[in-house]
Amino acid sequence: MALALQALLPFIALLGAAAIVRMRPRGQSNGWIAAGATGLAAVIALVELLRLSPGEHVDVPYLTTFPYADLSIRLDGLSLAFATIVLITAALLMLARQRVRGDRRDPWFGWLLTSAAACSVILADNLLLVYIALQLLTLAWSGALDEASPRRRGMRLVVQVADIGLLLAAASAIQSVGTSAFSGVPSDTFGLATFVLVLLPVMVRIGALTQIWGGPKAAVAFEPSIAWVAPAGYLLLRLLALMGGRLPDRPTAVALFALGVLGALFFAGLALFERAGARLAGLLLAAQAGLAVALSTGDQPLLTVASTWLWLLLVPLAGLAGIRPRDGSAPEALTLLGLAMVPGSVAFVGLWLAALALNARGLLPAMIPVGLVIVVSAIAAFSHVSVKRLRRVDTATIWAGLLLLIGAFPVIAIGTLVVPAAATVRLVPRGMISASPLGLATGFGVWPALAVSVAVGTVLGLTGWRLRGRFPLRAPGAGGEPAFASLLPAMPGLPTLPAWSHVVLWGVFAVVVGAVATRP
Amino acid sequence: MIVYLPAGLFAISLLAAYGTVGRQRQAATIGAVLAAAWSLVLLVDPSLTAWAIGPIVATLLLPRRGARARSSFEGLTRRVVTVVTALLVAIFLASRLPVGENPVLLSAVPWALGALGAAWFISPIDQPERLQGQVLMVGATGAILLAAIPAGPLTAALTGAMALVPIAGEYWRLPGRLRPALSALLLVLASAAALLAALASVNVVLVLFDIGLNISGLLLLGAAILLVAGAAATPIGIEWAAALGVLTIAAAAPALRWAALAGLIAVATTLDRRGERPAWLAMGALAMTSVLPPLAAPAWSARVQLVALAAGLVLMLFAARAATLRVLVLPTTALVVMVVLEPVNAAGVVRFQWIAAVGAMLLVSRTAVTWLLAESAGREVLRDALIAALLLVAISARDALGLGVLAAVLLLIDAAIVRIDDIPAPSSTWSRLVVLARSNWPGSITFAAAAIAVIAALQAGLALGLLAAALLAALQLAPLVDRNAASPGRVRPRSALQWVGPALSIGCGVAPALVLRMIQLAR
Repeated sequence: MALALQALLPFIALLGAAAIVRMRPRGQSNGWIAAGATGLAAVIALVELLRLSPGEHVDVPYLTTFPYADLSIRLDGLSLAFATIVLITAALLMLARQRVRGDRRDPWFGWLLTSAAACSVILADNLLLVYIALQLLTLAWSGALDEASPRRRGMRLVVQVADIGLLLAAASAIQSVGTSAFSGVPSDTFGLATFVLVLLPVMVRIGALTQIWGGPKAAVAFEPSIAWVAPAGYLLLRLLALMGGRLPDRPTAVALFALGVLGALFFAGLALFERAGARLAGLLLAAQAGLAVALSTGDQPLLTVASTWLWLLLVPLAGLAGIRPRDGSAPEALTLLGLAMVPGSVAFVGLWLAALALNARGLLPAMIPVGLVIVVSAIAAFSHVSVKRLRRVDTATIWAGLLLLIGAFPVIAIGTLVVPAAATVRLVPRGMISASPLGLATGFGVWPALAVSVAVGTVLGLTGWRLRGRFPLRAPGAGGEPAFASLLPAMPGLPTLPAWSHVVLWGVFAVVVGAVATRP
Repeated sequence: MIVYLPAGLFAISLLAAYGTVGRQRQAATIGAVLAAAWSLVLLVDPSLTAWAIGPIVATLLLPRRGARARSSFEGLTRRVVTVVTALLVAIFLASRLPVGENPVLLSAVPWALGALGAAWFISPIDQPERLQGQVLMVGATGAILLAAIPAGPLTAALTGAMALVPIAGEYWRLPGRLRPALSALLLVLASAAALLAALASVNVVLVLFDIGLNISGLLLLGAAILLVAGAAATPIGIEWAAALGVLTIAAAAPALRWAALAGLIAVATTLDRRGERPAWLAMGALAMTSVLPPLAAPAWSARVQLVALAAGLVLMLFAARAATLRVLVLPTTALVVMVVLEPVNAAGVVRFQWIAAVGAMLLVSRTAVTWLLAESAGREVLRDALIAALLLVAISARDALGLGVLAAVLLLIDAAIVRIDDIPAPSSTWSRLVVLARSNWPGSITFAAAAIAVIAALQAGLALGLLAAALLAALQLAPLVDRNAASPGRVRPRSALQWVGPALSIGCGVAPALVLRMIQLAR
């Protein structure tokens, strides 16, 4: 099959399903069509990824418009790994939504378009196209064709404005080298200012995790994983790939590491004061994303693998957290376990690898604040865990179980998804990391994943059995809203200006015109 | 001694015009026009007398009442102060911009004719006097420019004929049965012009006797925009005014170009007078850019020329916020400025950019101020101001690929054709499409234009790029404010061509590269 067609197959699957769902009357089968098509798109992306040689990338041009804005698709380890994980997550979310009873709304068309838009962000071949795709993604998840519509207005506008940073970065690249295509941008094109501009959309999306979770009635929140976490992680890693895997200078790396860790600590700290629920999950996810940002600053291959692991696995974790479980259900407990970043969770694998990499450089003390974040997150998560009997196996339970399985057997994801993606960001030497069913082995140390998972599982199981009836540690209703009063004063009304205000403005203009006219 | 006779004739005519009524006043006005023609003969060439035909015929077509209009002390004082001030300004300008070695009193007569027209326009005693003022202003624009840059007799005659345009705008409406045919013809011509611009690299001067018309890719594109705007967005009955816009951008002779623009402003303000005075001021500033090079001292001519160009554009963007000024005059002016700016050197462009940047901030701040004024009735649409500001930035951002020009052209289409009618509620598929076409989402012309403007501006300079980015950010937030704003213009009757705006928006938004190709071919 022609490469141009292969690259389009995920889009064809998603948009075709969207068209079918749009034309059909509302019904149960629409959900199956949506989930099936998204799953098929994920399989296609995975097959493309597996067929890719190490370090290989393919640019598939479709339409040459401007020299810097060709309509083309980028197939490399990073884009295909993210596309795969995003589409798998989207398909699972659709399955979870399909099992929800009592909600007659039909979100499939919007969700399919959101998945396609997320895919277009990830597979776009140049920065300008990424910016356009991000706008499409915002349009898709918000569904607010009318820009004044109150639907998610605040979040939507903040995201749109922040994305202008990416447009400026693309313009800067065009100004410097005449293109914003990933293949044509030398690694020294982006300076500190451009890097900060691209960080804007990343930071805003991480911040979005703490704010909105699908509204009060949504049983499944689609956006956090698909529209916020995945684009944030992808953008940061793509920018690092464009910069040759390293930041502009060491002070920037240190500052960003500090920013990431402090942000993570802040979010984890806020989580301590939250009630169990979506917002707690959002804060803990933001804390994990903060750590992922911090670890993305490293200039070692193993650290890049660690941060890529964190970012990639954060997408399904955010998806799982987007399924609003009943209080005390098994999925909720398993989700909180994943969010707690304790040994045995998927996040801990990445953190351990980071610790190994930093230790090799004599920078192990840098892991102290990271450890602090883990402790605070664990306290926040475990203080809300309730242990009850597993009554029904549903999508969320299986999903959470799969994530724990990946934590125990990182071999499932490390070779197929993480290393190819990390190798796109920077060169990862062959054999630097080897995986087996028992765990991971690197040149700097090992991670006995299976043994740790079994041990932690045993300890937690015994603890849960022993303390059954005493969980959650926090009494229901405690630790609700912060006890301090709002620091924001009441919003003052807009001041009124006298009618001659225009004269002042025109006067200033006249002065400038005069100055420019007389300046030799 | 003979060189002072035109000035003497003008002075007598002026006094007679103010002191008489009816046919005597008409004769006195014609005397003033003859004085200007006489001065042209003495200043340049006898062949330029053909210019006088248009203003004289226009004056004859404007009959005056026999009875004297009622006047008050305040009104009389205002009229006297206005005409004296206008004449003083005219004499000052004539003294600073002498035509060769000629005495000031001789070269001041065309300026004085313009001053008389301006005085009647600013403080008219009745509607015919206001119209007569416009006729004289249009005529004087041509006369001043003919004195500065001489042209052939036919060009002079055509320039003078522009003085008839205000009367045509006031009295001539296209009959209803002809309108569909004319609209269709305009659309066909627009399509042909766009097609020609897209397929061939055209850059020629078409000469008909002594009338020169520039034909290039950008001008063909501009002509297409004006023709579409004429067919789909002008008030019913004056679709023909689009031809004036096309003449303005195509005319090789500056006298014909600026006189046609003046005539277009007069037509555009017949139905809706909002912004007419700043529009005339802008026209004056822009016309000065052609007067300065031949008449002013080289020491300051070049820099003042660019300042006048930029300031004129800012004024026009301020004036052309609604109605036909926005639909026809704004794109015409912007296109002319783009053409004039093309050969300017880098230092001149920087001067232009300064004023453009400050002007952009002024336009946005001025609109924002309307939201804070005590009277809420005058609230203006913020998004329109932001688009005007982006247009200024885009025109001033000159880059090798022509992105600034591309963004400017897209923004012109957006302002003049797409954002004219009210937005329907998004209920049907069609209305959703219209909402998309008028939004900032990808696929709309606004999104494409604004994004390209940011890229172009950043290539021109960091400050300009950041300003463009800030304007884009404000554009994203503007719908929040604009919900309660006033409608941009009077509601027009529903037209069968309502699909044109949304179709153009989506077409240009999805494939701006096609427009770029037209512009690049022109280079």
